[in-house]
This record gives sequence, structure tokens and C-alpha cells, in this order.
Amino acid sequence: MAAAPRTQRQKEIRRHLWIYGAITPYVIVAIFPIYWMALTAFKQDPDLYRMDQFPLWFHLAPTWKNFSYLFYSTNYGAWIVNTMMIAAWVAVITLLIAVPAGYALARLRIPGSENLGIAVFMTYLVPGIILFIPLARVVSMVGLQDSWWALVLVYPTITIPFCTWLLMGFFKTVPMEMEEAARVDGCGYLGALLRIVLPVSVPGILTAVIFAFTLSMQDFLYGLAFVAPGDQKPVTVGVPTELIRGDVYYWGSLMAAALMVGLPVAILYNFFLDRFIQGITGGVGK
Amino acid sequence: MTASSSRGGPEAASPRAAAVSIAVRARPRRWFSSQTSRRLAFGYLLLAPAVLYVLLLVGAPFLFSLFLALSDASVADTTASFVGLENFRAAFESDVFYIALRNSIGFTVVAAIFKGLLGTSLAFLLLQPFWGRKFIRGLVVIPFTLPISISVLGWKWMYDSQFSVINWFLSRIGVIGTYGSAGWPVWLGEPHLALLACIMVNVWRNFPFSAIVLLAGFTSVPTEILDAARVDGTSFFQRFRHVVVPMIAPILLIGFLFDTVFTLSDLGVVYLLTQGGPANATKILPVLAYQVGIQAGALGRGAAIALFLFPLLLPLMILMLRNLKRREY
Repeated sequence: MAAAPRTQRQKEIRRHLWIYGAITPYVIVAIFPIYWMALTAFKQDPDLYRMDQFPLWFHLAPTWKNFSYLFYSTNYGAWIVNTMMIAAWVAVITLLIAVPAGYALARLRIPGSENLGIAVFMTYLVPGIILFIPLARVVSMVGLQDSWWALVLVYPTITIPFCTWLLMGFFKTVPMEMEEAARVDGCGYLGALLRIVLPVSVPGILTAVIFAFTLSMQDFLYGLAFVAPGDQKPVTVGVPTELIRGDVYYWGSLMAAALMVGLPVAILYNFFLDRFIQGITGGVGK
Repeated sequence: MTASSSRGGPEAASPRAAAVSIAVRARPRRWFSSQTSRRLAFGYLLLAPAVLYVLLLVGAPFLFSLFLALSDASVADTTASFVGLENFRAAFESDVFYIALRNSIGFTVVAAIFKGLLGTSLAFLLLQPFWGRKFIRGLVVIPFTLPISISVLGWKWMYDSQFSVINWFLSRIGVIGTYGSAGWPVWLGEPHLALLACIMVNVWRNFPFSAIVLLAGFTSVPTEILDAARVDGTSFFQRFRHVVVPMIAPILLIGFLFDTVFTLSDLGVVYLLTQGGPANATKILPVLAYQVGIQAGALGRGAAIALFLFPLLLPLMILMLRNLKRREY
């Protein structure tokens, strides 16, 4: 009699082993490059550049030298500051523009709002590679070339369409009755938006902020094309273009620089990935 | 006649007067003071900044790039004159352009096949309930969430001509010899390997995306429907082919379109790994457009090359549009 649950349990364990066995190769493929980067970042040069040893672990003591080099001898600190400033401004601009637009499209029953929403979203799909040459002219026309402010101007073209679409979906989930009740109580449309809809939409707005940040971190083309001076670059462009001098690669500090920005962004994005997928697939799945 | 008919007794006049006065009071309300028009005005006001931003920084540049492509604009010279289809003719007559076009299409197709295979199999695994699933899912999607230029740097180091960890591994299991032997692959230095190396990075970065999109599709299929099909005695593959695939087709299409648009237009991977070399083996349209338009400063030529991506992307976008419009959103 006691045998039945036991075999059940064994079956469950066998099923788990089978799944872990099958999924392990995927996990290794996915994270090995990151492990290798991390290892490289902490290795001393004599440990790194040799071929007669097992390379996947330390043979000399780990070192912080590669990290301190970045902050003392390169513009790395400036790039991080630039990136943070760009991200903050892009987030502000995106919110100021996408929140009203998303609300209007979701709630105010504008004729053709559905098509308008789709049109705004489609601009997210117009790739930078088609726009970067004319945008280079626009950027120099407004006098922002060679400064990170150029990116504050152009990144919202990526984030506004996406966040408007995202927030549109979000505002639709706020019960209409709450707003109507507020208007009966004498709020105008603006009052209802500011006092009722926005406070309950904080999670959605926060998500939009995260995307304004992570989507602008995923860019490489605009940063490469519009910002030339070494100390003005965002970190995602500065590291691959400035830390490499001629043909000499300082892999240790390169990997240190890459991981220090890459991992936090990856982890943050990771938590919001489902919302991203929901956003682009139009809410299927939840 | 009208005057006499409107005349009546004092008892009858007062309710009619009341009715008239209400009608009169309603008439002066203008269009803008009605509830609907106030709502619409407010709506357009809220929408205007977004529409303006998109028109000014996406719409206008797009039209501007059409103009640039028809002109001899360059970085050095601020005056540009109309040259008709000269830039397109020049592109068609250069060998590099054809190489780039072929590489772009080949890159996208081969990468899509691998992403499809890896993504589907991974999605099936992640669909199973098992302990630690969320954590493992979080690990496998890291390639997609890492900023692109950052991860390409890591790959560049893994493809190092001497200290490549991939070569160490291959050498260890006996596939290739030791460093310096004839078979030692220089990933980014040999034409056929370099393109493969770039494709591998794209596949590595985006297969988690395929998997997650598929997973979202699979979980959107109600289990009742699958159970009903199972009760009817269908096999796993029948259920997959006739129930699951039709149901998740729209989401599948969107994921595929997204990935294709981003792969076709991505500069980062190839630019950082090989800059299009060796001997144009990895030259793709985005890299060519960047090199001609920005590095060589021939804005017109560059814009024309970039615009060649548009006819490749347009059918995808139209498909996407139709897909989105069919959806209740």
C-alpha cells in the first residue's frame, strides 16, 4: 500500500532529472560567455595569457586591478555618469509624452484611436539603421552633435512608441467607473487623470521607466554615430570603442568594464522581461 | 397665422413658455462646450506631443533620408544637389553592395533557422513544471537582456586568435590540434568562419527571445482545449499541429517579425566583431551603410544603401500591421 506514493515520487524525481539533463546544455550555452567574462575580469594578466593551464579557473590570486584601472586611467566613470544622465532624461521625456498619449488612446474614445495606437507602435519597428543618417543631420542642426544630449533627443524615438503602447494596455485595465465617479464629484478630465488614474497606475509607469532605461541601454548605433568625443560617450559605446587602443586589447579591464554595466542592466531587464513580451505580443498569455 | 396660433390663455401659455425657454437656453451651447468635444479636445491635446515627436524625429528623418538618397550630400559639403537615382545606380554597380545584400539575407535566414530550433526546444522544456523553473528561465534569458555591445565584447574575447576559450575546448576534446597547428581556427580572421562567428553571436543572443515568445504562446492555449483533443484520441503531434500551432500562430508571427527586423537591421554584432572583414566576408547592409554614410561621409550614398533595407523590411511590417489590426486591442 505504501508503495504507490513512493513510485509516484520516484517518477517525479526521474522526470526532474530528465528535464535538468535536457536543459543544462541551454543554460551552459547561455551563461558560459558571462562566466568567462567574469573570470577574465578578475584574473591577473600572467594567469590570463597562457595556454598550458586549465583556463576555466584561477591559478593566481584574483585581482581588483582591472577594475581600479578603469576608474583611475580611463573615462569609465564619466561614461557611467553620462549613461545615467541620458537614462534619467530619456525616462523623464518618455513619461511626460507617453503617459498622456497612452491615456488618451486608451480612454478618451478618440476616433481612430486603435489605428493611431498601432501607428505609434509601428514606429518602434522602424530601425535606426534607416534613420541614423538623416538624424545625424538633425542632431547637428540643433547643435547637439558631439555631446550626449544628442542621445537624449533621439532615444525617445525608441522609447515613446514602446511605452505609449505599453501604457495604453495598462490604462485599459483601470476600471472606468473610478474615473466616472471622480467626474461626477466635480473633477474635470485632467483632474480625474491626475488624481485617480495616475496614482493607481504607478506600477505601469514604473515599468515604462525601466523600459526607457533598458531600451536605451540596448542601443549601439546612435551612440556610435552621434557622439564622437571620448568623454561624452555612453558606457555601452565608450567601452567597446575607447578601451581598445589600436590592436592591443586589455581583455581583463575590458571584461570588467563590460560586466559592471552589463549585469545590473541584464538583471533589471530580466525582472521586466515578461512585460516586454506581453507588450510586443499585445497582451497574449496573461 | 403663427402669431394667432401661439396666442392662448394664460393657463396654457406658461408651460409652453417654459418649454421654449429651455430650448433657447440649450441652443447657444457651442460645439466646444459639449461633453464629447471637450473630451476629444483634451484627448488630442494629450496625444499631440507624442505625435509631434514621432513625426519630427521618425517621420521627417525618413522623408529626409529619401531626399538624401537622391542627392550628393556629404559631411564635408553643406550644399547638396539633386542627382536622381545616381546613388542607387552606384550601389547596384558595386560588388560590395551585392556581397552585403547576400550576406544580410544569408545571415538572417541561417540565424532564424537556428533560433527557431533552439527556441522551440527550449520553450518545450520550460513549459514543463519543475522545481527551480523560474530561476533557470531567468538564467537562460540573460543573453537577450545583456546590452548588445557588452556581450559582443565578451564574444570577441572568446574568438581571440590565440587565447580563444572555444579553441581550447575544441583542442581539448580532440577536434582541432594545438595552437600553431594547421587546423587552428582563427574565428574572426577566416572568411567562412567569420560569418559563422557573427551568426553564432546573433543566435546566442536571440534564441532566448524565441523561446520566451513561444512559451507565452503555449501558455495562452487553454488546457481544456488540449484535454478535449486528448479525449478525442489525438496524438501529441496531431494536437500540436492542429490545435496548438493555429492558436499561437499570431504570436509566433509577431515574435518572428520582431526578431527578423532587429536581426536584419543590427549593426552592433558585425561592426564590433569584424567591421565587415575579412575581405568583406561579413559585410552586411547596415555595416556598409555606416561605413559609407558616416565614416566616409557620403551621406547620400549611405542613405541609399540603408534604404535598401526598407523593401526587405516593408513586407514584414505590413504582415505585422495586419496581424495587430486583426487583434482586439
